[in-house]
Amino acid sequence: MKIRTRLTFWYAGILIASLLVIGLGTYREIAEQLRHDHRKEPADHAIDETSEMVFQVGLPAILLGLVGGWWLTRRALKPVTKLTETVEKIHEHNLSDPLPRSGNGDELDRLTEVFNSMTARLDGSFQRIREFTLHASHELKTPLTVLRGELEMALDEENSNPPQKERLLSQIDEIERLTKIVDGLTLLMKADAGQIKLSREPVRLDDLARESFADAKILAQPQNVQVSLAACEEITILGDRHRLRQLLLNLTDNAVKYNKPDGTASISLRRVENFAELKIENTGAGVAPELQPRVFERFFRGDPSHSNTIEGCGLGLSIAQWIVAAHDGTIQFASKPDESTTVTVRLPVAS
Amino acid sequence: MRVLVVEDEKKTASFVRKALQAEGFAVDVCHNGDDALAAARATSFDGIVLDIMLPGRDGLSVLRQLRAQNNATPVLLLSARGEVNERVEGLNAGADDYLPKPFVIAELVARVRALGRRGGESKSTILQVGGLTLDTVSHRAQRGGKIFELTAREFRLLEFLMRSAGRICGRMTIIEKVWDYDFDPGTNLVDVYVKRLREKIDDGFEAKLLHTVRGIGYVLKEAP
Repeated sequence: MKIRTRLTFWYAGILIASLLVIGLGTYREIAEQLRHDHRKEPADHAIDETSEMVFQVGLPAILLGLVGGWWLTRRALKPVTKLTETVEKIHEHNLSDPLPRSGNGDELDRLTEVFNSMTARLDGSFQRIREFTLHASHELKTPLTVLRGELEMALDEENSNPPQKERLLSQIDEIERLTKIVDGLTLLMKADAGQIKLSREPVRLDDLARESFADAKILAQPQNVQVSLAACEEITILGDRHRLRQLLLNLTDNAVKYNKPDGTASISLRRVENFAELKIENTGAGVAPELQPRVFERFFRGDPSHSNTIEGCGLGLSIAQWIVAAHDGTIQFASKPDESTTVTVRLPVAS
Repeated sequence: MRVLVVEDEKKTASFVRKALQAEGFAVDVCHNGDDALAAARATSFDGIVLDIMLPGRDGLSVLRQLRAQNNATPVLLLSARGEVNERVEGLNAGADDYLPKPFVIAELVARVRALGRRGGESKSTILQVGGLTLDTVSHRAQRGGKIFELTAREFRLLEFLMRSAGRICGRMTIIEKVWDYDFDPGTNLVDVYVKRLREKIDDGFEAKLLHTVRGIGYVLKEAP
């Protein structure tokens, strides 16, 4: 129950109680007077007169009190409602914006002040975490480049024997993997820090869909997955061509990679109201329902047993989610385990 | 051949120097743009490896300054992924080639060597390596009297490999130049396409042209 309703009820109770007290007092006063005047049948008269007074004066007074009380609580709680509305809009990225204060020094103003200092501390912590990861991924890049270069040079030396070369090559492969992870992390960290500017130019989504369909068909051959382009309507949106291509390749590649042999994958692009709706379906093992909300988390793996057999940096869907969000769109993941998985992307169409 | 390497990361600079020296180049190293300009004025180099991201005066500014001084030394730009705009600007400002970072050292060496042979890159519409010919106008490839059908992507891949014939091409470079992807696609797209291409141009021929350089990428060359 809302505080306002609760207060109004209490207030009504108190008003009724005080009315009873007034009524009782009046009754005794009238009864006393009547006894004094006529000395007979005082009680009946007294009750009649009291109830008359109570109804004629008390009830309007109660009504007025209730309306006034309701208005008063509403007024008193208005800043709280406003505060709630503003606090609701707070998320990880606008922590640094303070809530507006009334400045009149009352309890709520004080609460706002305390709240602002708390979010400022939180913002500081978030900022430090972001900076740390950004620096960490940046710092890792150079040693990886150097390490890779050294290994390559060692590989070129004539005197190493085949088993040695094999070991060097497997080390290069691992460095390659690490480089991919660091690259993905750097991208996401820069995105978090707002350091990536996306261009906004007209992009024909249907061209991109056909292009990634062509690539997916080729990628699917080793696993004998059948890829189809179920629908491809002509749609232009405003966006960053490179990032949108990355999004499409990322999702279609997933549909092929996380699929069963001889499975199917289908891509469709349709216009739904003011959105371009891109659906990518496949017949993969999917993700258990309780894990589905987590698929966009960084380094999330739906099936831990597969994590090493399928190549990937574990950041693909996080990157996809970022690209979609940066285009003011939405992305959904729905999966029926061992049956099918559908990823639906909706991007606003240029008006 | 004398080369100037401009790279602010000292470790990267030193191993690039090592790798180039191992291949017989004379190498000078600078860690910032102003030093690079001074060095280029003082010495005549056969090529400059120029990182775009430099503290103070950046690589693009160095390049523009050089060209403004009528210094035509061939320049190979190094650019981190995601710096597409800078790269395009660089090519417009007169860079001769670019290589995405992190790069494969064998590829860097090959490209620096190619800088010396600048102008050697064929602008001809008919490319030829071994018995393989590619007509860049009709998109037709043939080898030993056999004509191959190529998809648009296969054509671009083959054209790129043939234009860099004899030079190692890293996977990332192929992704960037053939697919025009400015990111690591995280797929084995290149390998799958190369495999298909190989089935077309090499299957049934004694001498193979398309070779895998393990851990690095591919090279198209005539068997020695």
